[in-house]
Amino acid sequence: MTAVARWFRERVPLSGDRLRALTNEPVPNHMKHWWFCLGGTPAYLFVVQIVTGILLAIYYQPSSTTAYESIEHITDNVTFGWYFRSLHKWAATLMVAAVILHQMRVYFTAAYRKPREINWMIGMCLLLCTLGLGFTGYSLVFEQLSYWGATVGGNILSTVPLLGEPLKKMLLAGDVYNQQTLPRFFILHAAILPATMVLLILVHILLIRLHGVTELRFEDDPPGPEHFNFFPDHFYTELILGLTLMIVLSALATIFPAAMGPKADPLVTPEVIKPEWFFYVTFRWLKLFGPTFAVLSMGFIVCAMFIWPWIDGWLRKVTRTEEASTYIGIIAVLAIITLTVWEAAVAH
Amino acid sequence: MNSGDLDKAADSSEAPAVRSEAVPDRRDFLSTVSTVAMAGGLVTGYGTFAFMAGRYIFPTNVETPWLFVAEANSIQPGDSLAFESPTGVRVAIARRPADGPRHSTETEDFIALSSICPHLGCRVHWESHNNRFFCPCHNGVFDPEGKPVSGPPKAAEQELSRYPLKVEGGLLYIAMSVESVGTAARPSSHAAHRSNATTPAFSPGQEDLA
Repeated sequence: MTAVARWFRERVPLSGDRLRALTNEPVPNHMKHWWFCLGGTPAYLFVVQIVTGILLAIYYQPSSTTAYESIEHITDNVTFGWYFRSLHKWAATLMVAAVILHQMRVYFTAAYRKPREINWMIGMCLLLCTLGLGFTGYSLVFEQLSYWGATVGGNILSTVPLLGEPLKKMLLAGDVYNQQTLPRFFILHAAILPATMVLLILVHILLIRLHGVTELRFEDDPPGPEHFNFFPDHFYTELILGLTLMIVLSALATIFPAAMGPKADPLVTPEVIKPEWFFYVTFRWLKLFGPTFAVLSMGFIVCAMFIWPWIDGWLRKVTRTEEASTYIGIIAVLAIITLTVWEAAVAH
Repeated sequence: MNSGDLDKAADSSEAPAVRSEAVPDRRDFLSTVSTVAMAGGLVTGYGTFAFMAGRYIFPTNVETPWLFVAEANSIQPGDSLAFESPTGVRVAIARRPADGPRHSTETEDFIALSSICPHLGCRVHWESHNNRFFCPCHNGVFDPEGKPVSGPPKAAEQELSRYPLKVEGGLLYIAMSVESVGTAARPSSHAAHRSNATTPAFSPGQEDLA
Protein backbone atom coordinates (compact mmCIF):
# COMPACT_ATOMS: atom_id res chain seq x y z
CA MET A 1 0.00 0.00 0.00
CA THR A 2 1.41 3.34 -0.94
CA ALA A 3 1.85 6.08 1.65
CA VAL A 4 -1.00 8.11 0.15
CA ALA A 5 -3.39 5.16 0.21
CA ARG A 6 -2.37 4.33 3.80
CA TRP A 7 -2.86 7.99 4.83
CA PHE A 8 -6.32 8.00 3.25
CA ARG A 9 -7.31 4.60 4.69
CA GLU A 10 -6.39 5.75 8.22
CA ARG A 11 -8.68 8.74 7.91
CA VAL A 12 -11.51 7.00 6.04
CA PRO A 13 -11.52 3.51 7.55
CA LEU A 14 -13.68 1.94 4.85
CA SER A 15 -12.49 -1.20 3.09
CA GLY A 16 -14.30 -2.98 0.26
CA ASP A 17 -15.44 -5.69 2.70
CA ARG A 18 -16.71 -3.12 5.15
CA LEU A 19 -18.58 -1.25 2.40
CA ARG A 20 -20.12 -4.53 1.31
CA ALA A 21 -21.18 -5.29 4.88
CA LEU A 22 -22.67 -1.80 5.33
CA THR A 23 -24.65 -1.75 2.11
CA ASN A 24 -25.53 -5.38 1.87
CA GLU A 25 -29.17 -6.01 2.14
CA PRO A 26 -30.80 -9.26 1.11
CA VAL A 27 -32.86 -8.44 -1.96
CA PRO A 28 -35.77 -10.78 -2.75
CA ASN A 29 -35.43 -12.78 -5.95
CA HIS A 30 -38.40 -11.12 -7.69
CA MET A 31 -36.25 -7.98 -8.01
CA LYS A 32 -34.26 -9.83 -10.66
CA HIS A 33 -37.22 -9.19 -12.98
CA TRP A 34 -36.55 -5.95 -14.84
CA TRP A 35 -40.07 -4.61 -14.46
CA PHE A 36 -39.49 -4.29 -10.71
CA CYS A 37 -37.04 -1.45 -11.34
CA LEU A 38 -39.73 1.24 -11.10
CA GLY A 39 -38.56 2.42 -7.67
CA GLY A 40 -35.01 3.08 -8.81
CA THR A 41 -36.13 4.67 -12.10
CA PRO A 42 -37.75 7.82 -10.66
CA ALA A 43 -34.87 8.13 -8.16
CA TYR A 44 -32.36 8.08 -11.02
CA LEU A 45 -34.47 10.50 -13.07
CA PHE A 46 -34.67 12.80 -10.05
CA VAL A 47 -30.86 12.96 -10.00
CA VAL A 48 -30.88 13.71 -13.75
CA GLN A 49 -33.37 16.52 -13.04
CA ILE A 50 -31.17 17.99 -10.31
CA VAL A 51 -28.07 17.96 -12.54
CA THR A 52 -29.79 19.33 -15.67
CA GLY A 53 -31.84 21.74 -13.53
CA ILE A 54 -28.67 23.25 -12.03
CA LEU A 55 -27.23 23.58 -15.54
CA LEU A 56 -30.37 25.35 -16.79
CA ALA A 57 -30.45 27.65 -13.74
CA ILE A 58 -27.00 28.96 -14.74
CA TYR A 59 -28.58 30.81 -17.68
CA TYR A 60 -32.24 31.09 -16.64
CA GLN A 61 -33.48 34.50 -15.43
CA PRO A 62 -36.69 34.22 -13.36
CA SER A 63 -38.40 37.45 -14.30
CA SER A 64 -41.37 38.01 -16.56
CA THR A 65 -39.30 40.40 -18.68
CA THR A 66 -36.36 38.05 -19.19
CA ALA A 67 -37.51 34.42 -18.60
CA TYR A 68 -38.68 33.67 -22.15
CA GLU A 69 -35.63 35.32 -23.73
CA SER A 70 -33.23 33.51 -21.41
CA ILE A 71 -34.73 30.14 -22.36
CA GLU A 72 -34.58 31.15 -26.02
CA HIS A 73 -30.90 31.96 -25.44
CA ILE A 74 -30.32 28.54 -23.82
CA THR A 75 -32.08 26.79 -26.70
CA ASP A 76 -30.61 28.74 -29.62
CA ASN A 77 -27.21 30.12 -28.54
CA VAL A 78 -25.67 28.19 -25.64
CA THR A 79 -23.60 25.18 -26.69
CA PHE A 80 -25.63 21.98 -26.05
CA GLY A 81 -28.29 24.17 -24.41
CA TRP A 82 -31.03 22.56 -26.51
CA TYR A 83 -29.79 19.14 -25.36
CA PHE A 84 -29.86 19.86 -21.62
CA ARG A 85 -33.21 21.63 -21.85
CA SER A 86 -34.70 18.73 -23.81
CA LEU A 87 -33.13 16.25 -21.39
CA HIS A 88 -34.75 18.12 -18.48
CA LYS A 89 -38.13 18.10 -20.19
CA TRP A 90 -38.05 14.42 -21.16
CA ALA A 91 -36.68 13.29 -17.79
CA ALA A 92 -39.60 15.18 -16.19
CA THR A 93 -42.09 13.39 -18.42
CA LEU A 94 -40.54 9.98 -17.76
CA MET A 95 -40.27 10.74 -14.03
CA VAL A 96 -43.98 11.47 -13.73
CA ALA A 97 -44.74 8.29 -15.70
CA ALA A 98 -42.31 6.22 -13.60
CA VAL A 99 -43.69 7.54 -10.29
CA ILE A 100 -47.26 6.73 -11.38
CA LEU A 101 -46.25 3.23 -12.57
CA HIS A 102 -44.27 2.64 -9.36
CA GLN A 103 -47.28 3.61 -7.30
CA MET A 104 -49.54 1.35 -9.37
CA ARG A 105 -47.10 -1.54 -8.83
CA VAL A 106 -47.09 -0.92 -5.07
CA TYR A 107 -50.88 -0.67 -5.08
CA PHE A 108 -51.63 -3.81 -7.08
CA THR A 109 -49.11 -5.90 -5.13
CA ALA A 110 -50.62 -4.53 -1.87
CA ALA A 111 -47.14 -3.53 -0.71
CA TYR A 112 -48.68 -0.67 1.28
CA ARG A 113 -50.18 -2.98 3.88
CA LYS A 114 -48.99 -3.22 7.47
CA PRO A 115 -46.25 -2.36 8.45
CA ARG A 116 -45.58 -0.15 5.40
CA GLU A 117 -48.48 2.33 5.68
CA ILE A 118 -46.25 5.31 6.50
CA ASN A 119 -44.01 4.63 3.51
CA TRP A 120 -47.12 4.60 1.27
CA MET A 121 -48.05 8.04 2.63
CA ILE A 122 -44.52 9.30 2.01
CA GLY A 123 -44.86 7.94 -1.52
CA MET A 124 -48.09 9.92 -1.92
CA CYS A 125 -46.25 13.08 -0.82
CA LEU A 126 -43.55 12.30 -3.40
CA LEU A 127 -46.22 11.92 -6.10
CA LEU A 128 -47.74 15.31 -5.22
CA CYS A 129 -44.27 16.92 -5.14
CA THR A 130 -43.51 15.44 -8.57
CA LEU A 131 -46.76 16.82 -10.01
CA GLY A 132 -46.02 20.18 -8.33
CA LEU A 133 -42.58 20.20 -9.95
CA GLY A 134 -44.20 19.46 -13.31
CA PHE A 135 -46.66 22.33 -12.94
CA THR A 136 -44.13 24.90 -11.73
CA GLY A 137 -41.63 23.64 -14.32
CA TYR A 138 -43.65 24.47 -17.40
CA SER A 139 -44.74 27.73 -15.75
CA LEU A 140 -41.13 28.96 -15.80
CA VAL A 141 -40.85 29.06 -19.60
CA PHE A 142 -43.24 32.04 -19.67
CA GLU A 143 -44.88 30.94 -22.88
CA GLN A 144 -48.64 31.16 -23.37
CA LEU A 145 -49.20 27.79 -21.64
CA SER A 146 -47.11 28.94 -18.65
CA TYR A 147 -49.06 32.15 -18.15
CA TRP A 148 -52.55 30.81 -18.74
CA GLY A 149 -51.82 27.54 -16.90
CA ALA A 150 -50.79 29.53 -13.81
CA THR A 151 -53.78 31.85 -14.17
CA VAL A 152 -56.22 28.94 -14.48
CA GLY A 153 -54.42 27.09 -11.65
CA GLY A 154 -54.79 30.10 -9.37
CA ASN A 155 -58.50 30.42 -10.23
CA ILE A 156 -59.05 26.70 -9.58
CA LEU A 157 -57.42 27.11 -6.17
CA SER A 158 -59.69 30.04 -5.37
CA THR A 159 -62.77 27.79 -5.66
CA VAL A 160 -61.71 25.87 -2.53
CA PRO A 161 -64.08 27.01 0.24
CA LEU A 162 -62.50 29.26 2.91
CA LEU A 163 -58.85 28.62 2.03
CA GLY A 164 -59.13 29.20 -1.72
CA GLU A 165 -58.50 32.94 -1.97
CA PRO A 166 -55.55 33.04 0.48
CA LEU A 167 -53.99 30.03 -1.29
CA LYS A 168 -54.37 31.72 -4.68
CA LYS A 169 -52.78 34.90 -3.34
CA MET A 170 -49.90 32.88 -1.91
CA LEU A 171 -49.33 31.11 -5.24
CA LEU A 172 -49.62 34.12 -7.54
CA ALA A 173 -48.22 36.72 -5.11
CA GLY A 174 -51.40 38.75 -5.62
CA ASP A 175 -54.90 38.54 -7.00
CA VAL A 176 -53.66 38.01 -10.55
CA TYR A 177 -50.46 36.95 -12.30
CA ASN A 178 -47.94 39.77 -11.83
CA GLN A 179 -44.21 40.48 -11.83
CA GLN A 180 -43.75 38.75 -8.45
CA THR A 181 -45.35 35.49 -9.64
CA LEU A 182 -42.52 33.97 -11.67
CA PRO A 183 -39.87 34.24 -8.89
CA ARG A 184 -42.28 32.33 -6.62
CA PHE A 185 -42.66 29.53 -9.14
CA PHE A 186 -38.89 29.45 -9.56
CA ILE A 187 -38.22 29.14 -5.82
CA LEU A 188 -40.88 26.44 -5.54
CA HIS A 189 -39.48 24.59 -8.54
CA ALA A 190 -35.76 24.94 -7.84
CA ALA A 191 -35.57 24.97 -4.04
CA ILE A 192 -38.61 24.16 -1.91
CA LEU A 193 -40.04 21.17 -3.79
CA PRO A 194 -36.67 19.50 -4.63
CA ALA A 195 -35.40 19.94 -1.04
CA THR A 196 -38.64 18.45 0.28
CA MET A 197 -38.30 15.56 -2.15
CA VAL A 198 -34.70 14.85 -1.13
CA LEU A 199 -35.79 14.56 2.52
CA LEU A 200 -38.80 12.42 1.65
CA ILE A 201 -36.74 10.12 -0.60
CA LEU A 202 -34.19 9.62 2.20
CA VAL A 203 -36.93 8.61 4.67
CA HIS A 204 -38.60 6.49 1.94
CA ILE A 205 -35.39 4.54 1.33
CA LEU A 206 -34.59 4.33 5.05
CA LEU A 207 -37.97 2.72 5.74
CA ILE A 208 -37.48 0.32 2.81
CA ARG A 209 -34.12 -0.69 4.33
CA LEU A 210 -35.64 -1.10 7.81
CA HIS A 211 -38.64 -3.15 6.64
CA GLY A 212 -36.99 -4.83 3.67
CA VAL A 213 -38.56 -4.98 0.22
CA THR A 214 -42.02 -6.58 0.14
CA GLU A 215 -41.43 -10.15 -1.00
CA LEU A 216 -43.36 -11.53 -3.93
CA ARG A 217 -43.45 -15.12 -5.13
CA PHE A 218 -43.87 -16.22 -8.73
CA GLU A 219 -44.88 -19.66 -9.89
CA ASP A 220 -41.83 -19.96 -12.14
CA ASP A 221 -39.39 -18.97 -9.41
CA PRO A 222 -36.36 -21.24 -9.62
CA PRO A 223 -35.57 -23.35 -6.56
CA GLY A 224 -32.65 -22.19 -4.45
CA PRO A 225 -31.93 -19.16 -2.29
CA GLU A 226 -34.77 -16.66 -2.08
CA HIS A 227 -32.50 -13.62 -1.81
CA PHE A 228 -29.48 -12.15 -3.51
CA ASN A 229 -27.04 -9.47 -2.43
CA PHE A 230 -27.71 -5.77 -2.89
CA PHE A 231 -24.01 -5.16 -3.42
CA PRO A 232 -22.78 -5.75 -6.02
CA ASP A 233 -25.60 -7.64 -7.79
CA HIS A 234 -28.47 -5.19 -7.48
CA PHE A 235 -26.13 -2.20 -7.59
CA TYR A 236 -24.96 -3.34 -11.04
CA THR A 237 -28.56 -3.70 -12.15
CA GLU A 238 -29.18 -0.08 -11.16
CA LEU A 239 -26.05 1.03 -13.03
CA ILE A 240 -27.25 -0.65 -16.22
CA LEU A 241 -30.69 0.86 -15.68
CA GLY A 242 -29.12 4.33 -15.37
CA LEU A 243 -27.15 3.95 -18.60
CA THR A 244 -30.21 2.64 -20.44
CA LEU A 245 -32.26 5.61 -19.23
CA MET A 246 -29.55 8.04 -20.37
CA ILE A 247 -29.60 6.46 -23.84
CA VAL A 248 -33.41 6.67 -23.99
CA LEU A 249 -33.40 10.28 -22.73
CA SER A 250 -30.67 11.33 -25.16
CA ALA A 251 -32.54 9.71 -28.05
CA LEU A 252 -35.80 11.44 -27.08
CA ALA A 253 -34.03 14.79 -26.57
CA THR A 254 -32.39 14.54 -29.98
CA ILE A 255 -35.37 13.26 -31.96
CA PHE A 256 -38.01 15.36 -30.17
CA PRO A 257 -36.18 18.43 -28.77
CA ALA A 258 -38.08 20.77 -26.46
CA ALA A 259 -39.73 23.50 -28.53
CA MET A 260 -40.84 27.00 -27.54
CA GLY A 261 -44.44 28.12 -27.77
CA PRO A 262 -45.48 31.74 -28.30
CA LYS A 263 -44.44 34.15 -25.53
CA ALA A 264 -46.97 34.79 -22.77
CA ASP A 265 -49.50 37.45 -23.73
CA PRO A 266 -51.88 38.49 -20.94
CA LEU A 267 -54.21 40.07 -23.51
CA VAL A 268 -54.71 36.99 -25.71
CA THR A 269 -55.98 33.63 -24.48
CA PRO A 270 -55.09 30.91 -27.01
CA GLU A 271 -57.95 29.15 -28.82
CA VAL A 272 -56.81 25.76 -27.58
CA ILE A 273 -54.92 25.53 -24.32
CA LYS A 274 -54.07 22.34 -22.50
CA PRO A 275 -51.77 21.50 -19.58
CA GLU A 276 -49.10 18.78 -19.75
CA TRP A 277 -50.42 15.26 -20.30
CA PHE A 278 -50.25 14.30 -16.61
CA PHE A 279 -52.90 16.92 -15.79
CA TYR A 280 -55.29 15.81 -18.56
CA VAL A 281 -57.28 13.78 -16.01
CA THR A 282 -57.90 16.73 -13.71
CA PHE A 283 -58.50 19.06 -16.67
CA ARG A 284 -61.22 16.77 -18.09
CA TRP A 285 -62.65 16.27 -14.60
CA LEU A 286 -62.93 20.04 -14.24
CA LYS A 287 -64.72 20.37 -17.56
CA LEU A 288 -67.14 17.61 -16.59
CA PHE A 289 -68.13 18.81 -13.14
CA GLY A 290 -67.39 22.51 -12.72
CA PRO A 291 -64.73 24.02 -10.48
CA THR A 292 -66.01 23.67 -6.92
CA PHE A 293 -67.27 20.08 -7.14
CA ALA A 294 -64.27 19.00 -9.20
CA VAL A 295 -61.74 20.51 -6.78
CA LEU A 296 -63.49 19.14 -3.70
CA SER A 297 -63.91 15.66 -5.23
CA MET A 298 -60.27 15.58 -6.32
CA GLY A 299 -59.24 16.62 -2.82
CA PHE A 300 -61.41 13.81 -1.45
CA ILE A 301 -59.80 11.27 -3.82
CA VAL A 302 -56.28 12.39 -2.84
CA CYS A 303 -57.18 12.12 0.86
CA ALA A 304 -58.61 8.63 0.26
CA MET A 305 -55.40 7.62 -1.52
CA PHE A 306 -53.37 8.85 1.45
CA ILE A 307 -55.25 6.65 3.92
CA TRP A 308 -55.80 3.74 1.51
CA PRO A 309 -53.89 1.20 3.68
CA TRP A 310 -56.59 1.62 6.34
CA ILE A 311 -59.45 1.77 3.83
CA ASP A 312 -58.08 -1.45 2.36
CA GLY A 313 -58.09 -3.06 5.82
CA TRP A 314 -61.70 -2.01 6.34
CA LEU A 315 -62.69 -3.28 2.86
CA ARG A 316 -61.09 -6.66 3.52
CA LYS A 317 -62.96 -6.93 6.79
CA VAL A 318 -66.30 -5.97 5.23
CA THR A 319 -66.05 -7.91 1.96
CA ARG A 320 -64.11 -10.84 3.44
CA THR A 321 -61.97 -10.92 0.32
CA GLU A 322 -58.41 -9.81 -0.42
CA GLU A 323 -59.29 -8.58 -3.91
CA ALA A 324 -61.59 -5.58 -3.26
CA SER A 325 -58.77 -3.02 -3.55
CA THR A 326 -57.57 -4.66 -6.76
CA TYR A 327 -60.97 -4.26 -8.43
CA ILE A 328 -61.26 -0.65 -7.27
CA GLY A 329 -57.73 -0.04 -8.57
CA ILE A 330 -58.57 -1.50 -12.00
CA ILE A 331 -61.64 0.76 -12.24
CA ALA A 332 -59.55 3.78 -11.18
CA VAL A 333 -56.81 3.04 -13.74
CA LEU A 334 -59.39 2.58 -16.51
CA ALA A 335 -61.01 5.90 -15.50
CA ILE A 336 -57.65 7.68 -15.54
CA ILE A 337 -56.78 6.25 -18.98
CA THR A 338 -60.24 7.10 -20.35
CA LEU A 339 -60.19 10.71 -19.11
CA THR A 340 -56.60 11.21 -20.33
CA VAL A 341 -57.32 9.81 -23.80
CA TRP A 342 -60.57 11.77 -23.97
CA GLU A 343 -58.82 15.04 -23.13
CA ALA A 344 -56.01 14.27 -25.59
CA ALA A 345 -58.41 13.42 -28.39
CA VAL A 346 -60.64 16.51 -28.35
CA ALA A 347 -59.78 20.17 -28.82
CA HIS A 348 -62.10 21.54 -26.13
CA MET B 1 -18.89 -27.38 -23.61
CA ASN B 2 -19.80 -25.57 -20.43
CA SER B 3 -17.45 -24.27 -17.76
CA GLY B 4 -17.91 -27.45 -15.71
CA ASP B 5 -16.63 -29.53 -18.63
CA LEU B 6 -13.68 -27.19 -18.94
CA ASP B 7 -12.91 -27.59 -15.27
CA LYS B 8 -13.13 -31.38 -15.64
CA ALA B 9 -10.82 -31.24 -18.62
CA ALA B 10 -8.42 -29.09 -16.69
CA ASP B 11 -8.50 -31.39 -13.68
CA SER B 12 -8.19 -34.59 -15.71
CA SER B 13 -4.91 -36.40 -15.23
CA GLU B 14 -4.97 -37.28 -18.95
CA ALA B 15 -4.77 -33.66 -19.95
CA PRO B 16 -1.24 -32.42 -20.31
CA ALA B 17 -0.12 -29.94 -17.66
CA VAL B 18 0.67 -27.25 -20.23
CA ARG B 19 -2.87 -27.45 -21.68
CA SER B 20 -4.52 -27.16 -18.28
CA GLU B 21 -2.84 -23.79 -17.79
CA ALA B 22 -3.70 -22.63 -21.30
CA VAL B 23 -7.42 -23.46 -21.19
CA PRO B 24 -9.26 -20.21 -20.56
CA ASP B 25 -11.93 -20.24 -17.94
CA ARG B 26 -15.06 -19.11 -19.77
CA ARG B 27 -16.58 -17.64 -16.63
CA ASP B 28 -13.47 -15.54 -15.98
CA PHE B 29 -13.35 -14.45 -19.60
CA LEU B 30 -17.01 -13.37 -19.67
CA SER B 31 -16.60 -11.68 -16.32
CA THR B 32 -13.63 -9.67 -17.60
CA VAL B 33 -15.36 -8.75 -20.86
CA SER B 34 -18.56 -7.66 -19.13
CA THR B 35 -16.60 -5.66 -16.52
CA VAL B 36 -14.62 -3.88 -19.25
CA ALA B 37 -17.82 -3.26 -21.26
CA MET B 38 -19.62 -1.93 -18.19
CA ALA B 39 -16.75 0.30 -17.08
CA GLY B 40 -16.28 1.51 -20.66
CA GLY B 41 -19.98 2.29 -20.96
CA LEU B 42 -19.99 4.20 -17.68
CA VAL B 43 -16.86 6.19 -18.45
CA THR B 44 -17.91 6.93 -22.06
CA GLY B 45 -21.53 7.75 -21.21
CA TYR B 46 -21.03 9.94 -18.17
CA GLY B 47 -17.71 11.26 -19.50
CA THR B 48 -19.49 12.53 -22.61
CA PHE B 49 -22.18 14.03 -20.40
CA ALA B 50 -19.56 15.78 -18.24
CA PHE B 51 -17.78 17.12 -21.34
CA MET B 52 -21.05 18.47 -22.74
CA ALA B 53 -21.91 20.04 -19.37
CA GLY B 54 -18.49 21.72 -19.26
CA ARG B 55 -18.94 23.04 -22.78
CA TYR B 56 -22.45 24.23 -21.87
CA ILE B 57 -21.19 26.20 -18.85
CA PHE B 58 -18.40 27.83 -20.87
CA PRO B 59 -19.84 31.09 -22.24
CA THR B 60 -20.82 31.13 -25.88
CA ASN B 61 -19.75 33.92 -28.18
CA VAL B 62 -22.99 35.47 -29.28
CA GLU B 63 -22.61 37.31 -32.56
CA THR B 64 -22.24 41.03 -31.90
CA PRO B 65 -24.73 43.08 -33.93
CA TRP B 66 -23.63 45.76 -36.42
CA LEU B 67 -24.88 49.22 -35.45
CA PHE B 68 -25.21 52.05 -37.94
CA VAL B 69 -22.86 54.96 -37.19
CA ALA B 70 -23.02 57.46 -40.05
CA GLU B 71 -22.55 57.85 -43.76
CA ALA B 72 -18.87 57.17 -44.39
CA ASN B 73 -18.48 60.31 -46.48
CA SER B 74 -19.86 62.50 -43.75
CA ILE B 75 -16.66 62.08 -41.73
CA GLN B 76 -13.80 64.03 -43.29
CA PRO B 77 -10.24 62.63 -43.26
CA GLY B 78 -8.66 63.49 -39.91
CA ASP B 79 -12.07 64.15 -38.46
CA SER B 80 -13.79 62.04 -35.80
CA LEU B 81 -17.01 61.60 -33.94
CA ALA B 82 -18.11 60.26 -30.58
CA PHE B 83 -20.42 57.30 -30.80
CA GLU B 84 -22.64 56.18 -27.96
CA SER B 85 -23.96 52.61 -28.02
CA PRO B 86 -27.50 51.70 -26.91
CA THR B 87 -26.04 50.75 -23.54
CA GLY B 88 -24.28 54.07 -23.11
CA VAL B 89 -20.73 52.97 -24.00
CA ARG B 90 -18.84 55.80 -25.70
CA VAL B 91 -16.42 55.10 -28.49
CA ALA B 92 -14.17 57.42 -30.49
CA ILE B 93 -14.59 56.76 -34.21
CA ALA B 94 -12.13 58.59 -36.44
CA ARG B 95 -11.23 58.69 -40.10
CA ARG B 96 -7.51 58.50 -40.73
CA PRO B 97 -5.93 61.49 -42.48
CA ALA B 98 -5.91 61.28 -46.27
CA ASP B 99 -2.73 59.68 -47.58
CA GLY B 100 -1.76 61.96 -50.47
CA PRO B 101 -4.33 62.11 -53.23
CA ARG B 102 -6.02 58.91 -51.96
CA HIS B 103 -9.47 59.73 -50.72
CA SER B 104 -11.24 56.41 -50.29
CA THR B 105 -13.89 55.36 -47.78
CA GLU B 106 -12.71 51.81 -47.14
CA THR B 107 -13.18 50.09 -43.80
CA GLU B 108 -9.47 50.43 -43.03
CA ASP B 109 -9.73 54.23 -43.33
CA PHE B 110 -11.64 54.29 -40.06
CA ILE B 111 -10.73 53.41 -36.52
CA ALA B 112 -12.93 52.95 -33.44
CA LEU B 113 -11.22 53.08 -30.05
CA SER B 114 -12.54 51.99 -26.70
CA SER B 115 -12.45 54.45 -23.81
CA ILE B 116 -11.45 51.69 -21.37
CA CYS B 117 -7.78 51.77 -20.33
CA PRO B 118 -6.24 48.30 -20.88
CA HIS B 119 -4.15 48.70 -17.71
CA LEU B 120 -6.78 48.44 -14.96
CA GLY B 121 -10.03 49.38 -16.64
CA CYS B 122 -10.31 53.11 -15.87
CA ARG B 123 -11.81 55.40 -18.51
CA VAL B 124 -9.43 57.43 -20.62
CA HIS B 125 -10.24 60.91 -21.91
CA TRP B 126 -9.05 62.85 -24.92
CA GLU B 127 -6.78 65.84 -24.37
CA SER B 128 -6.95 67.85 -27.57
CA HIS B 129 -4.26 70.31 -26.49
CA ASN B 130 -1.82 67.42 -26.02
CA ASN B 131 -3.17 65.37 -28.94
CA ARG B 132 -3.34 62.28 -26.74
CA PHE B 133 -5.58 60.02 -24.68
CA PHE B 134 -4.89 60.25 -20.97
CA CYS B 135 -5.83 57.80 -18.19
CA PRO B 136 -5.99 59.68 -14.86
CA CYS B 137 -5.71 56.53 -12.70
CA HIS B 138 -2.03 55.78 -13.36
CA ASN B 139 -1.00 58.43 -15.88
CA GLY B 140 -1.33 56.20 -18.91
CA VAL B 141 -0.88 58.01 -22.24
CA PHE B 142 -1.98 56.85 -25.71
CA ASP B 143 -1.53 58.40 -29.14
CA PRO B 144 -4.51 59.14 -31.46
CA GLU B 145 -4.21 55.58 -32.89
CA GLY B 146 -4.60 54.13 -29.37
CA LYS B 147 -0.97 53.03 -29.15
CA PRO B 148 0.67 53.42 -25.71
CA VAL B 149 3.08 56.35 -25.33
CA SER B 150 3.98 56.32 -21.63
CA GLY B 151 2.89 55.09 -18.21
CA PRO B 152 1.94 51.51 -17.27
CA PRO B 153 0.27 50.77 -20.66
CA LYS B 154 3.57 51.61 -22.40
CA ALA B 155 5.51 49.37 -20.00
CA ALA B 156 3.15 46.49 -20.80
CA GLU B 157 2.67 47.48 -24.47
CA GLN B 158 -1.10 47.59 -24.08
CA GLU B 159 -3.11 49.42 -26.74
CA LEU B 160 -6.61 50.82 -26.42
CA SER B 161 -8.83 48.08 -27.76
CA ARG B 162 -10.55 48.61 -31.07
CA TYR B 163 -14.09 47.91 -32.13
CA PRO B 164 -14.67 46.26 -35.52
CA LEU B 165 -15.95 48.62 -38.18
CA LYS B 166 -17.23 48.02 -41.69
CA VAL B 167 -18.25 50.22 -44.61
CA GLU B 168 -21.09 48.81 -46.66
CA GLY B 169 -22.87 50.73 -49.40
CA GLY B 170 -21.21 53.94 -48.25
CA LEU B 171 -22.50 53.50 -44.71
CA LEU B 172 -20.29 53.01 -41.65
CA TYR B 173 -21.21 50.32 -39.11
CA ILE B 174 -19.68 49.34 -35.75
CA ALA B 175 -19.95 45.93 -34.01
CA MET B 176 -21.02 46.55 -30.42
CA SER B 177 -23.06 44.67 -27.84
CA VAL B 178 -26.53 46.01 -27.18
CA GLU B 179 -26.70 44.36 -23.77
CA SER B 180 -25.09 45.50 -20.57
CA VAL B 181 -25.13 44.70 -16.88
CA GLY B 182 -27.30 46.85 -14.66
CA THR B 183 -28.72 49.13 -17.30
CA ALA B 184 -31.53 48.42 -19.68
CA ALA B 185 -30.85 48.91 -23.36
CA ARG B 186 -31.73 52.38 -24.54
CA PRO B 187 -32.60 51.82 -28.18
CA SER B 188 -33.33 55.44 -28.95
CA SER B 189 -30.29 56.89 -27.23
CA HIS B 190 -27.50 55.65 -29.46
CA ALA B 191 -26.24 58.40 -31.62
CA ALA B 192 -23.19 59.67 -33.30
CA HIS B 193 -22.12 63.16 -32.36
CA ARG B 194 -20.03 65.07 -34.83
CA SER B 195 -16.90 66.43 -33.31
CA ASN B 196 -15.39 69.81 -33.70
CA ALA B 197 -14.47 69.40 -37.35
CA THR B 198 -12.07 72.29 -37.48
CA THR B 199 -9.11 70.27 -36.18
CA PRO B 200 -6.78 69.98 -39.14
CA ALA B 201 -4.83 66.95 -37.90
CA PHE B 202 -6.26 63.57 -37.21
CA SER B 203 -7.62 63.47 -33.69
CA PRO B 204 -10.54 61.81 -31.97
CA GLY B 205 -11.97 65.29 -31.56
CA GLN B 206 -13.65 65.05 -28.21
CA GLU B 207 -12.58 66.38 -24.87
CA ASP B 208 -13.92 63.58 -22.77
CA LEU B 209 -14.79 60.04 -23.74
CA ALA B 210 -15.69 59.08 -20.22
